[in-house]
Amino acid sequence: MAAILTLESVSYSYPLPGEGESAALDGIDLQVERGEIVCVAGPNGSGKSTLAQVCAGLLVPSSGRLLFDGRRVESRAELRGLRQRIGMVFQSPEDQLFAGTVTADIAFGPRNHGLRGAELEKRVRSAATIVDLSLERFGERSPFSLSEGEKRRVALAGVLALEPDVLVLDEPFIGLDHDGREHLKAALERYRERRETSVLVVTHDLADTWRLADRFALLSGGRLVRVESSRELVSGYDLGSLDMRLPQWGVLARELVSGGSEVADPADPAELARAIASILEARHGG
Amino acid sequence: MTAALGKRVGGETRAEDRATVPAGPDAGVDEIVVEGLSYAYPGACEDALSGVDIRFERGRYYSLLGRNGSGKSTLARCLNALLVPTRGTVTSCGLDTCEPLDIPDIRQRLAMVFQDPDTQIVGITVEDEVAFGPENLGLAPDVIRERVDSAMELAGIAHLAKRQPLRLSQGQKQLVAIAGALAMEPAFLISDESTSMLDHASRRRIVDLLTTLAGRGVGVIHVTHFLEEASTADEVVVLEAGRVAAVGAPAQVLADPSRVMELGLDPLPVTQVGKELAALGHRLPGGILTVEELLAWLRS
Amino acid sequence: MVGRDITIGQYLARDTSLHELDPRLKVISVVVGTVMIFLYPSGWALLAFAGLLVITMVASRLPLVPVLRSLRTVWVIVLITALLQLFLTPGEVLVRWGFVTITDSGLYNGIIFSARVVILVLLLAALTMTTPPLKLADALESLLKPLSYIKVPVARVTTVVSITLMFIPNILEQSRKVIRAQMARGADFESANVFRRVRDIIPVLVPLFVKVFHDADELAMAMDARSYRGGVGRSRLDPMHIGMRELLLTCLFIGLSVGLFFVF
Repeated sequence: MAAILTLESVSYSYPLPGEGESAALDGIDLQVERGEIVCVAGPNGSGKSTLAQVCAGLLVPSSGRLLFDGRRVESRAELRGLRQRIGMVFQSPEDQLFAGTVTADIAFGPRNHGLRGAELEKRVRSAATIVDLSLERFGERSPFSLSEGEKRRVALAGVLALEPDVLVLDEPFIGLDHDGREHLKAALERYRERRETSVLVVTHDLADTWRLADRFALLSGGRLVRVESSRELVSGYDLGSLDMRLPQWGVLARELVSGGSEVADPADPAELARAIASILEARHGG
Repeated sequence: MTAALGKRVGGETRAEDRATVPAGPDAGVDEIVVEGLSYAYPGACEDALSGVDIRFERGRYYSLLGRNGSGKSTLARCLNALLVPTRGTVTSCGLDTCEPLDIPDIRQRLAMVFQDPDTQIVGITVEDEVAFGPENLGLAPDVIRERVDSAMELAGIAHLAKRQPLRLSQGQKQLVAIAGALAMEPAFLISDESTSMLDHASRRRIVDLLTTLAGRGVGVIHVTHFLEEASTADEVVVLEAGRVAAVGAPAQVLADPSRVMELGLDPLPVTQVGKELAALGHRLPGGILTVEELLAWLRS
Repeated sequence: MVGRDITIGQYLARDTSLHELDPRLKVISVVVGTVMIFLYPSGWALLAFAGLLVITMVASRLPLVPVLRSLRTVWVIVLITALLQLFLTPGEVLVRWGFVTITDSGLYNGIIFSARVVILVLLLAALTMTTPPLKLADALESLLKPLSYIKVPVARVTTVVSITLMFIPNILEQSRKVIRAQMARGADFESANVFRRVRDIIPVLVPLFVKVFHDADELAMAMDARSYRGGVGRSRLDPMHIGMRELLLTCLFIGLSVGLFFVF
């Protein structure tokens, strides 16, 4: 099965006023499979926001090829079409809310793509369910009367209502508290299940997606350095050189693994506890 | 790391450390006393804060935690009279926040930095930005110069003096904001989620600076939802629905992951592992909150 | 509040003598210059003034390219009004295409008008690129101080002016972000359908206003927390002072500007 989204040697440079060109992305090769959750991680300035926007068809690569569902995407019309299939959620998405009612705001996207009537309503309902937002309670309220967390859900629903095949999120966890993070992760899982869609999460902190992502793509200075699972990440790769750090889970898992323990899932506290327990028992000769 | 551990176990500040930061015009009382504080935002049907009683002392590092909407920012803003109590009192450094004439003095003694690095900047160069506060106090240019230089030195940004703050990284902007607060020579520094929008390295740097400041006699009140940052505090205060739900040393308050989750916070990974370990029959000693501590214990 | 592009005369951090010059002198020069630009009776005076301006900028090592770029934003207005002058002014007819006539006065007026606006923009750009908003506010406050004796709230007005100036890059950055987000949801800002484009302004304007007002609130709170009291009793790290040399050069500039009126 072809990957849903493929980047081949994609580069992107943008002109800085008075300083000529500056390369944000350099020869990126990336494949996102259907139903995958990929985390694109890198320190600030590594180009991850640029990569996200290129994937979403909002920026045109300076060189290289972009393939969606096996087909090349090149012309302006094709790129615009790509925007329908790939939903992009920017940082602080609640800054884009504008409509008189929550329902109208969520409907904005699908409406722009020509949906009306019953079909439109169905989409809005579906999106609201995924983000766990009750339309009975909130549908007719003004988006501006909601709490920050609720606003963010409305904004996310607005993009989900487009039913994109790939969802790209740029630093979605910033400013969220525990409840907010859990909500978001649950919504992403739900969305993936429903339509076998793929999710690309851009973040600077691996801790955010440690338990969510299937694979991690590490960016540094515009280049893709590694693409691995969390399990592979803890078995010895030095993230310090990329100006990144393993989350606490990963640090613990790595120490245990390098000490010889077996850790099948470096995101599961029970697994880590078991590994530690065996060390303790071994020590006491039990 | 060990210094922070030391702080948690026996965290008294030495008298000499307190003296390194001048206390401002006249040394008022070295604490903030909050009694029966309630606050409701205009037009809201519920209280954002309900009957909060708490005390903050100079020279200690407090971490103020709570889920979004728990009232932590509201409490922070009641301390320096940005918000005035609906009921109850807040006495900051001996001054009543309800007294309008005392507000300028309160704001000089309680400096604040905010969450969004971009919306608190007013200056065109870093120097100008840091000088903004002292300029508002009408101090003489040479006094301002001195304060600006020592504040920038303390915050580690002296080399950025002539740069434009808006062109710096988010983390650097927050350091500039803190320098701006330090230039007021405050008794207390309140950080209203100043690390929420930053990457890990910048957050670390800010927390280190805040810890240093507490060591030098400034009372630090750091509002955050990152438990990692709270683990090195002298005292942790958790708010829930406008009330104080928990107060105490980090080792006490943050140890139980289920309780922490009930309060809407992300439990520390080590405490979750600790809970699983307990289920397998092994108890972690109290006070282990970070992976480094866990590994150190494991090796011993 | 970040804005990387050069907007209409956004402050450029450089080390030129125009930057060092007391902002009050700059403001006075600009006011005089503005008046003169519209008073000059002939194209030669305008040309000479333009020359004076360029020499001043070059002599103080202000990079001309960014200054010229600020013209980009106004050329449409200039073009439209110039064309109106060109086609609608009565006089001796030079060219006739169907019902469109160009007269000699029309041609002259069109050119002169464009020239006035262009030079005005350059003059203002020279001011705003070398003077940070807060310094501009200081200058205005100082110059308008006499008005406060007749109860005009000078300090407040200047605070409002300077903060508005500071917010321009913020507004631009926010609008970029909102446009981008709405585009990702299918809003079409390139559509041939004018009606559609107008309708899609609302999803940009509403969030923009909300965010900018919110940011303004936050800024006000931050300023409050730092004991800002509206300019009353404020001192400066770098107090304004007028040196002899600066004063003489400014007088020279003003003298020449006014003098051109009589010469040409």
